[in-house]
Order: sequence, then C-alpha cells, then structure tokens
Amino acid sequence: MKYAFYPGCVSRGGCPELYPSAVKVAQKLEVELEELKDVGCTGAGVLPQYLSDPINARTFAKAEGLGLPIMTICSTCQGVMAQANYRLKSDPAYREKINREYLAEEGLEYRGTTEVKHLLWILFEDYGLDRLKSLIRRPLKGLKVSPFYGCFLRRPPEAITPTKELSRRKNYLDELIEILGADLVDISGKGKCCGFPILTASEENSLAMVAKHTGESKEKGADCMVTPCPLCHLNLDGNQPRAQAVRGEKIDLPIIHLPQFVGLALGFDPEEMQLKRHIVSTRVVESRVEMLA
Amino acid sequence: MQITFKVYRKDPEGNGKPGRSEYTVDLSDDATVMDGLLKIRDELDGTLAFRASCLRGYCGECTMRISGKSTFACTAKVSAFTKKGPEIALDPIRNIPVIKDLVFDWDAFLWNKIKAVKPWLEPREGPANEEHRLPDAVMKDLRQVMSCYYCGLCDEGCTVLPVDFDFLGPAALTKAYRVAFDPRDRDGKERLRIAEQPKGVWDCVHCFEASEHCPRGIAPTERIVALRDKAFQMGISHEKVARHHQSFAASVKESGWVDEGRLAVESEGLTNIKGLMKLLPTAAKALVRGKAPLPYVHSKRPGADRIKKIFEKGERERK
Amino acid sequence: MQEFDVLVIGGGASGLRAAIAAKRAGAAVALVTKVHPLRTNTGVAQGGLNAPFGKEDSSERFAEDTLLAGDGLSEPELVRILTQGAAEEAVWLERMGVPFNRDGEGRLDRRRFGANSQPRTCYADDRTGHIVLQVLHEQFLRAEIPSFEEWYVTSLAVEDGTCLGVIGLGMRSGKLEGFAARAVILATGGFTRLYLPSTASLGTTGDGLSLALSAGGRLRDMEMVQFHPTVVPKNPGLLITEAVLGEGAELVDANGGTIAGSKAVPREKLCGSIMDTIENGGGSVFLDLRPIGKEKLSSRFPQTCELLRTVAGLDAAKDPIAIQPAAHRPMGGIEINGQGETALAGLFAVGECASSGVHGAGRLAGNTLTEAVVFGRRVGEAAARYAASAPKRSFPAPKLSDEERRLGALTSKNSASDSLGKIHGELGRLMNEKVGLARNQTGLKEAQDRLQHLKERHQRLRVGDTSRIYNYQLTAYLELGSMLSLAEVVVLAAQARTESRGAHRRTDFPERNDENWRRHISVSLVDGGPKLQHKPVGIPG
Repeated sequence: MKYAFYPGCVSRGGCPELYPSAVKVAQKLEVELEELKDVGCTGAGVLPQYLSDPINARTFAKAEGLGLPIMTICSTCQGVMAQANYRLKSDPAYREKINREYLAEEGLEYRGTTEVKHLLWILFEDYGLDRLKSLIRRPLKGLKVSPFYGCFLRRPPEAITPTKELSRRKNYLDELIEILGADLVDISGKGKCCGFPILTASEENSLAMVAKHTGESKEKGADCMVTPCPLCHLNLDGNQPRAQAVRGEKIDLPIIHLPQFVGLALGFDPEEMQLKRHIVSTRVVESRVEMLA
Repeated sequence: MQITFKVYRKDPEGNGKPGRSEYTVDLSDDATVMDGLLKIRDELDGTLAFRASCLRGYCGECTMRISGKSTFACTAKVSAFTKKGPEIALDPIRNIPVIKDLVFDWDAFLWNKIKAVKPWLEPREGPANEEHRLPDAVMKDLRQVMSCYYCGLCDEGCTVLPVDFDFLGPAALTKAYRVAFDPRDRDGKERLRIAEQPKGVWDCVHCFEASEHCPRGIAPTERIVALRDKAFQMGISHEKVARHHQSFAASVKESGWVDEGRLAVESEGLTNIKGLMKLLPTAAKALVRGKAPLPYVHSKRPGADRIKKIFEKGERERK
Repeated sequence: MQEFDVLVIGGGASGLRAAIAAKRAGAAVALVTKVHPLRTNTGVAQGGLNAPFGKEDSSERFAEDTLLAGDGLSEPELVRILTQGAAEEAVWLERMGVPFNRDGEGRLDRRRFGANSQPRTCYADDRTGHIVLQVLHEQFLRAEIPSFEEWYVTSLAVEDGTCLGVIGLGMRSGKLEGFAARAVILATGGFTRLYLPSTASLGTTGDGLSLALSAGGRLRDMEMVQFHPTVVPKNPGLLITEAVLGEGAELVDANGGTIAGSKAVPREKLCGSIMDTIENGGGSVFLDLRPIGKEKLSSRFPQTCELLRTVAGLDAAKDPIAIQPAAHRPMGGIEINGQGETALAGLFAVGECASSGVHGAGRLAGNTLTEAVVFGRRVGEAAARYAASAPKRSFPAPKLSDEERRLGALTSKNSASDSLGKIHGELGRLMNEKVGLARNQTGLKEAQDRLQHLKERHQRLRVGDTSRIYNYQLTAYLELGSMLSLAEVVVLAAQARTESRGAHRRTDFPERNDENWRRHISVSLVDGGPKLQHKPVGIPG
C-alpha cells in the first residue's frame, strides 16, 4: 500500500507532534508514504475558491503523476480537497479551464482520477479492519474516549458521503474507538464545529464551543477526546485553558490526535507519540496506558 | 390504526413548566402527523397549541420535531414513524424559545433576524414599462435561494446558535445572499454592508450543518461563504478577519504554506498590544511543551514559486 | 389604542401590495394578519401572473380572454383596469426583485396557461406565488410599515354606516385590542375551506367576507366557486398547476385516451370534461406529465415534483397521476367598485375576499396574482386618499368591552360530544356534494336545510379552551362561524340562479340564459337574514 502523503501545514506547525506520530504509525502498518513536498496549502476554507481550486488541482495532478491516491491527516485539508476534487471531477469543463489557465504552463494536467482520503477512511476502506486488529498490541481497555470528527470529515454530503455506503464515514471514529479496545463516550457535538474557524472573528463563541464539547465529554466521564483534525486540536487543546475560564470550572480533558491514539494501541509509548507536547496535560492517558503496559 | 402521540406541553398561563401529554387517536394508514394533531385538538384537547397553515408542504409553518427528527407535520406520514411501535413523540424544534406547547418564538428565532439583514432591493431608477434584461442563469440562482420556505431547519442545525442565540443564523444570512447577489439592486456594495454587521457572516463556522439540514437543497453554508468572499473582494470585512485573511493569503502566496506564528500575530494587529499580550500565555506554554518548533523559522516550500504564480494570475483575473 | 390612517387586514399579496401603495401615497399604514405574511395562502400559487407583453399581445386581447372566461358575468370596465394595469405591475414586481424566468433575450418569459390565447403568464418556476410573496414582503419591510402578526380580527368597529377600525385578538398576548383607522382594507383571502377537500390553506375561511357581511356590507357572485381541474385527491388536496398542460402534459382516461378539449380552455370547461369522463364510465382521469420530459419537468416544476413525491408518494416522471377537480378559488366576494370601496364608508376590500367584477362566472388562470397586485396598489392608493380627506371620528370604545363579553360567553369548560372538526367535515362534504361542480334544486334545498342544523350545532358548541394565549380553538370556532354564514349565502345564491354559467352548473337548468341572468346576485343581511338583490352587468369603472 502506498500513498502520496499530504501532511498539511499544522502537522509541522502548530501541532508538530502530529507529523512524526503519523509517520511512525504508517511505518508500523507498513503503509508506504511518498510525501508531496512541492505542493501548496489547500486554502483551508480561508482562501477563496478561485485561488484554492487551482492550487488543489495542482496537488491532485502531482499525485496523479505518481499514480498514487492522496493520504491526509487533517479533517480540514481532507474536506477542502474533497470539495475541490468534487467540483473538478464532476465538471470537466471547469477542470479543463483550470488545466489550461493554471497548470499547463508547468506542464501539468489533472485528469480527474486522484482519490483523496483521510488516514481514518484509509483504515476502514483500504487497509481493512481485520488487518488492523491483528496488529493491536495494546488494546486500550478501560480508556474512556470521546470522538470529535471535525466538520469537514462529515460534510458536505456530495463530497464526503456521496453514497449510502459511504455515509458510514460519519461513524468511523466511534467504531475505531471500540475496535482499539477503548470505551466510547458519545457526545452530542462530536460532528459539530470546534470553533476554530471563528477564533479571530468571535473568540467568545469559539471558546464557548470548546467549553461545550470538552465540558460535555468530561461530564460524561471521558478520560480524553480523540480527533482526526489538528485544527480542532489547536482549539480544543490549545484554547481549553481559556475556555475553562469562560465556563468557570476546570475541564482538563486531554485531546489526542488520531495517529497518536492508533499508535498507542499499536504499542507505541506515549513518549514516542509525543503526548507531552500538548497544552492540556495528558497525564491521565499516559498513566492509563502505562497500566495497560 | 391507533397511534399514541406524546406531546411536549408548556402553559404560559400556568406554571410555565414543560410537561408532556399523551393522546391516542385512530388514524387512516396514510395519515400525516398534522392529521393527528388536528384530530387531537378537535376531539381530545382543545388547549393543545400548534401552528399550521398550508397543510401540504409549501410554507414551513408546522416545523416540529417528530420522534427526534425535525420536519413538517403536514407532510410527515405517521407510518414513517411507527415502525418500532405506535408511538410518536412531538416536540418543538431545538435552539428556540418555546411560548406554548409546540408554538415557539418565530419572531426571535427568525423573523427579527431576517429584518435585521435589511432584506430588500433598493430598486434602480428605470422606465416603468421595461424589465431588466438578464440571463435566466442569474435568475435561476435567485429562484433556488427563494425556494426557501423559512422552516428554520438550517437554524436548528446551526453549530453557532446554541452558544450564541444572537447570531443571525443561516436562514437570515441566506436571505442576505438573495439580495446581495441580485444584480438589480441599486448599489450592490451597499447590500454587502451586511458583512460588517456583528453576529453575521464572520461568525459562521461554515461547518455545512445548515446545508445538510436544508430540506430544499439551498445550501445555506455555501451561500454564506459566497457572501463573505464577495464582501471581502469589495473590501468589506471584519477588521481582524481581514488581517487574518490577508496574512493567511500572503503567507501561502510567499511560501506555499501557512505561517501560524505570523498569522496569530498579524491577525491581532501589530499595534494591538492588548491583543498580542493575550497570545503570550498560550505561546509561552507552547514553547515550554515544545509545541512550537524552535528556532522559529518559516521557510519556503519547494514549489512555492509556482503557488505564487497561481496567486498572481488568479488575482489578476479577479480584477 | 393604536391609530392609523389605513389599516390593512391580511398579509397575502393583495394586502402587502395595498399597504405598500398606501404608505407611498403618504398614509400612516399598519398591517394586521392572522398568520405571518410569508405563511399566507398566496404562497401556494404556482402557475404565474398574466401580463400582456410583446407585439402579439395587447391589453385588449387579454381583456377578451378574461371576459370569455368570465362567461358573460365579468364587468368589462373593471376588466380593463386589470388588463391595462397588468404589464406595469409585472414590471414593478420584476424591478423590486422577482426573479421571473427569462427568455433567450433576457426578457420576461411567458408560458401558456389555461385559457389564455397567448403565452401571457409570467412565472417563477412553479413557485410564482411563493416568490412574489417574498418580494412583496421585502418591500413591505423596506417601507417600515408596522405589522401586527398573528392577530385575529374578531369584528369591525362600525358606527352609522362608517367603519372606524377593527377589534383584534393578539394570539401571543391573548389580549383584545381596538385599532382605530380612517380606512380599513380587507385583504383576508377567500373562503375555499368551505369545501373539503380543497386546494386552500387552513386559514382560508372567509373571515373578511363574514366581517363585512355582518357589519352591513354586501357580497356578490357568491355562487361562483371555481374548481381546479388537476388536483391529487389526497387529503387535503394537492394541486398540480395547470401550467403543465401548456408545457406538454396530457389528460388521459383509464385507457390512456386523451381527453377531448383539455387544452387552452377555461377551467370550468376542463372540469366539466374531466367529470364527464369520470361519470360516463371512464373511472379515473390521469394527468400524464411524462410528455414534458424529465429535464424540463424538474427544472420548471421542481416544487410539483417534490410535493408529489413527499405528499403523495408519486414520481411525476414515471407514472400518470390520478387527478380530479377540487374547490379552488371563489370568483365572488365583498362587493367593491373600481376603487375597492364597499357599501360601508371607510371599508375597502381587495384580492380574493373581494368581488372586483373581474372574474365574473369563471376566472382566467393566472389572473389571481395579477388582480392582487393591480387592485392591491389601486385600492391602497384609494384608501390613502380617502383617509386623507375623511373626517376624524373617534373609535367607539364601548365596542371593545362588548366584544370582550361576546367572546367570553363563547368559552366554557363544558365538554361536548360534538366538535368543530366534525361540523366542518360535514360542511365541507356537503358543499362538495350538493354545491359543487354540478348543482340542482333538490340538492341545494337539502344543503340549505342541513346547513341550518350545522349552524345550530355550532351555536350550541362552546370553546373548551379557556386560556387566552394562542387559543386556536377560539379562532377555529370563529372561523367556522364565518364559513357557516358564507355557506348559507353561497347556497341561496346558487338556488336563485336558475341557469348554467361559468362555474355554476345547474343540471336542472343546463343552458346559459343571458336574457334573465346577465346579472349579479348581491347579498346583504336584512334583519339578521340574508337578502338577495339582482344587479345587471354594466358597472362603471
């Protein structure tokens, strides 16, 4: 199995622990990664489409040239690229226009064949759960975990859950938590927004969302929350101390990246997954994991 | 068939505490939930309050939660909700103040917010006997937006409203789109001033919940994003957001990827000492935990020059 | 007490247009409406609105078609007001923001609709009413007109033949309040809920007609009730716009044979052909939408496809749809002149609650929305003019406490085995069977007798809900009262008209009789009972 790896900006910027843990997990799973190095940011929903669609078309063309599907480790990268890919695949005239105006100069062409998949989807759809289960070295028994997907890994439907079968994607993280042996602590906001996109415009609302999601999870007895989106992580982890102040009570809920979570079950130590780099202390998770040895 | 409705109750003239009443009625096999409600009010309990108007899916007046699913009582077949048993729970939709039973506060939830976006055209001066000549494609987009029946389901699904009821919400912002994207308005830019309003487009998290909840496929989230992009292009924005977007775009343009450190600082504004100070504790903690890589450098990605070209070309064409 | 120059009752297209026009004419205007404007019955209109454009068409040709559909009972001078004002109002709507469908040159596209001899009907897909309503509401908001939404008007305040305002019940506040006004415009919509099934919204109960009648106003052409030919006969009646016939759809019998005379004919004739087929052993009649083609069907009739699927569980692109005629829209209503004035000074009426003289015995498809905007504007302006010159008179305050007592006496905790719904159900079926598409003296007499019983049952009933806030049982009681009093008028007028004309088809008098019956039947209350008068066609404009 081989993928063109699109790590995204945050996995080496604001969440530097994500990139190495993802790479280590891929190695353990024997998933070969060829990193796309000379490609641009997806636009993250901040850049307007007229800029981000050509940039993403370029990325897809590069992967197409390698003959590889793209693997992402960020719900936002995944969502923005999936939406762009949907437009480019479903509208050949639009694709041709972008090829002509933006890619031809570099000798590139996007023919519309590249698949873009988040690591989470790959585990379910390509890798296979039986194979994954066979590699579990440390079932995370007794660890109580809430899922938090990140909006763009669930919506919009035409790009993310285009078929009835793929609507199961909305539940992958819930399933994975149980597959890896942990206890699922469901929360009402697991598919909602973390608040990151409005951190600039409306910090108060953004922090209120952090408080709402992490607070509910904590109240329901979770030890931690796992997310496939580093932007959610930035807000839920990085801004949790300030959200606590809004809520007026301690929350202290560790937020774990998806690859870290999988890595722990595959037998990596918390140190190897760089849990110590998080803002909210991950001590609870570490001690649980150490107990499971 | 015998159906038992378990209906949310609240009496504003009594103790005001929410409760639930149970009614069992006999209905035909293809009856709708509205048939059941009308029968209950007529034969069993005249005090039950709920709204209804068109009775056949045109108007959105009877939106409610039917056994957990928000939809219209007038088009919802009873049989679709009784597969597990002949019981149906009826509740007001969520995120909205209830006045009495299933009657909630449309004014606060929707009508007042629609008024707040000043949703009308300022028509251009022109001959009274001649229409604007416009391609149908432009009109078609507006017709699609105006197929909205103000049912409130996008607002119910909204991520922001539960933490901030004052947020204008997707329904009202979609109405704003309808006006801002109508080429017949006297001053399109003036219409986009909506983008300067607090609690408006910049407070939207574009999570696509609204689009997913819209029963008419109007895609409110995409409308809000389009409104925002257009406003931004016209130089109308939220001050901090504008800085954030400019910084984001400049970073991608120059290096191919996002410089988060620069983004945080520039978004607050280089002269905004108070805002910058606020960033310090998080930044310090991040440094201690090794979250921010040191020494702090943001280097160009390979291929950055290509990205820059795309930017320059795209920006040129927009102008 | 709130005071205004002009008070508009009813938030549909006519009411909003009248309010906007009155405000522009300088009046202090307010709107009182029992449902929010965007929930009114205008929203269910689909096909479009007629306006003559282009070289092929003219207001004269439009008038000819309207008069033909009116079957000798339309008023030519009033029809001319409609047809001459139509194009300007359609353009006004366009300039205010209605995204009408366009032709290849970007001009207003017009579809073939009903018995219009020209493609004359401007449209916005199959949601014209819904979209026109929104644009009117937008301009209504722009005009900053105070709006009392979810207020139910329980009576008119009339003294010495002059209307001085209304008394309304605030659904949300539960309070009864007086609204003083120099001019009151009734724009309360029709009374099609007299019939079950029908194509109308829940609130289309003739409130305004009943208010006008009991306050001394007159009702005209009440026996003329249009049935819509193509309705899916599922409760409560799902209308498919007749515009589909102009776009290629076919009406077929059970064997797939085309029904003769089903294109470009007045609705009354079309309903007749359908009923003949059903009654002469044809069984059912189907509307076959497939000839329109899948793409055009979903692009031009998106709402029709959606509602057929969700409400009736049918796929318009796959199966022919069983249809039958159902009560749709009365031609008659509160008698007005060309300025919207009624028999009472200071009381105006417009739209479906009014008899403007335009529709006669049969209404041309696409004329309802046109009438709403053309007459809405005209009557709004006339009311503003009247208000500017009317002497100031104070609101008769005692009427408020009288009304409080009257409503109080209606409520009582006594439980009864009878119910409003049962009475309404019987009324609706009775009207459909005996006062529907085909009528005769025996049936009408029977209807008259049974109506008396229904009225007695209604009078014996009490409103069990003694609350004030959102007491929908109380408003339903008042609405049923309106319907019963109007049903009596419809039945009496239908008995009196011993001929067949337009929507009024008497099996015992199958011929049109111009010698005796080119005249209107006008009804008012004398000593509490309805009294009929005849007025020949020929009202000055």
